[in-house]
Amino acid sequence: MTYELNVAHLYGDLMNTYGDVGNILALNYYAKQMDVHLNVQVVSLEEDFHAADYDLAFFGGGQDFEQTIVAKDIQTKKAELTKFIESGGPLLAICGGYQLLGHYYIGADGEKLPGIGALDHYTLAQDHNRFIGDIVIKNQETGETYHGFENHQGRTFIGKGERPLGNVVSGKGNNGEDGTEGAIYKNVYCSYFHGPILTRNGDIAKHLLIAALKRKFPNDDFSQQEALPIPATF
Amino acid sequence: MSLRSGVATFAGKSSYWFLHTFLHGGSSLPGKITLKLDPQILRSLGAKYDVIVITGTNGKTLTTALTVSVLHEKYPTILTNPTGSNMEQGIVTTFLNAKNPKTGRPLAVLEVDEANVIKVTQYIEPKAFVFTNIFRDQMDRYGEIYTTYQKILDGVALAPNATIIANGDSPIFNSKHLPNPIQYYGFDDQPDRDFKAKPNTDGVLCPNCQHILHYHTLTYSNQGKYFCPHCGFKRPDLTYRLTQLGTQTPTSSQFTIDGHAFKITVGGTYNIYNALAAYAVGRFMGVTPEQIAHAFTANEQVFGRQEVIDVNGKRVTIILVKNPVGLDQVLHMIGTDPQPFSFVGLLNANYADGIDTSWIWDGDFEQLADSNIPTFITGGERYKDITFRLKVAGVPDDKHIVEPSLEKVVDRIQEVPTERVYVLATYTAMLQLRKILASQGFIKEGLGV
Repeated sequence: MTYELNVAHLYGDLMNTYGDVGNILALNYYAKQMDVHLNVQVVSLEEDFHAADYDLAFFGGGQDFEQTIVAKDIQTKKAELTKFIESGGPLLAICGGYQLLGHYYIGADGEKLPGIGALDHYTLAQDHNRFIGDIVIKNQETGETYHGFENHQGRTFIGKGERPLGNVVSGKGNNGEDGTEGAIYKNVYCSYFHGPILTRNGDIAKHLLIAALKRKFPNDDFSQQEALPIPATF
Repeated sequence: MSLRSGVATFAGKSSYWFLHTFLHGGSSLPGKITLKLDPQILRSLGAKYDVIVITGTNGKTLTTALTVSVLHEKYPTILTNPTGSNMEQGIVTTFLNAKNPKTGRPLAVLEVDEANVIKVTQYIEPKAFVFTNIFRDQMDRYGEIYTTYQKILDGVALAPNATIIANGDSPIFNSKHLPNPIQYYGFDDQPDRDFKAKPNTDGVLCPNCQHILHYHTLTYSNQGKYFCPHCGFKRPDLTYRLTQLGTQTPTSSQFTIDGHAFKITVGGTYNIYNALAAYAVGRFMGVTPEQIAHAFTANEQVFGRQEVIDVNGKRVTIILVKNPVGLDQVLHMIGTDPQPFSFVGLLNANYADGIDTSWIWDGDFEQLADSNIPTFITGGERYKDITFRLKVAGVPDDKHIVEPSLEKVVDRIQEVPTERVYVLATYTAMLQLRKILASQGFIKEGLGV
């Protein structure tokens, strides 16, 4: 392959519910079609994350207990993760990963746990209820429609610097109130979508890969990669 | 038995007789009626029995059936509950159906749903519990592994004298200090190494210090000779050790436990764990290894789930898949077939299947693409999901037939180049397929699962 990208699978051994690893598989699937080889590495507890080492990152959802452990550890990676994000590093964060990039979330036992505050959202809990089911959203800027399956107790409210990944067509979305789902900030895509998200919405995989390629190889022409058709899979 | 229990029992038994005789049914309704009349009925019903409770997320049914076979070598009368009747009402019905034991204390070997353990132990103190394993199910249906284990423990707390016979390879069963006597069984057939489980494995945090567990040996998922390099937490000493794993095919497994050779007529490493659990219970109850070996070979029908259906000369095996660990195990098992085979994946997402299909991405379909399978067929109501899963796994389009309609899947199966065909299907997809096969005369009934 002509190009190589280094992918950090953040806490891939702890944050891996609902087939979220499928996002890595889908990234790889589309990367191959773009003549790109991915080197995927799990970055977990007590391991350093250096922003400069990675071109793309994925952060999945986890079980409640695992997420509390990750919430503690991720504070040691806060500076480098923030640097990665601020410098335009493409990152996909799902569910628990999404929550931990924000200011805080409320854990299963009602405890308020800090995220890294790299993004301007926060997450509240809801009592004895989860948002579970198929969900469809539409991104107003690109006109793209995204399909997923949501399954979350958290209710996330996005902040000023963030745009929603889409507006809810059917389903609950971020919080069941404001009609938004997910968040976009710079090249960071956040969502509650499982399915997994990239297997049903190849366009998002393509956006992430193109952003990573352009950032790593600013002088190369990627028009061929940008022309890659993404057939519907769902 | 109190008058109330007596009346309740009579009402339940009569309703069973009625349902059984006239409606050919009656698995849980009699229990429901009896429980209405006397919520504490299990106390009087169960008092006459030595009860062994078998619980865990996977393998309960086969472990229960195997344990019954093993114990039959020594104990003539054993009560057990039929498949699927593992909640309170089904268990009450099981006791109601039992003929009154004439002599001695008979055994009851019960498969009990994790959350229903407490509904049994409220009224009965079992002689032993068997913990098979706790794997993450599809979480739109059940909780996390820790919540599930806590539900079991809530029930066990009411029976502190019962012996626990647990899968020693599963770290979660060593995570809490319990007053009960505990025996562990596990695999000890490999030389020690030092490695971590693969990234997408569930339950790899040390319960003591929350660092990532390492392994000396690992069978599958998070099961093996685990240890924590940080705090020293490790797999407990095993009472029952599998020391050698012999030839495995999809229809047979050979292995050695505590120096004794065994053979079972079913494939899959997960079934060896089930056999190991049954062996452990047998030994605990004084059954000899020779008797256990006999029980394993003399009771082939307990492995009945994987029947082979002749579809115009194709040998079709239908296997139910419902969660990632089970799926991985089945994929591994069919890979042990020495004969060439074709692969069929049927996916539905009704309530009984799990309404979220994301879990198929936790299954290691990649191993299929690397093998020599000439034809893949995908179908079912969610054929798009399973089709794309196989595409991403590397299955080439020229070997891959996409066929949403199950009727047509049956036609296509008859055209594949291999004699053997494995069909992996979710619950409702399997029922639908069996109905079609029955209507075409390939099997007698549509619903025998």
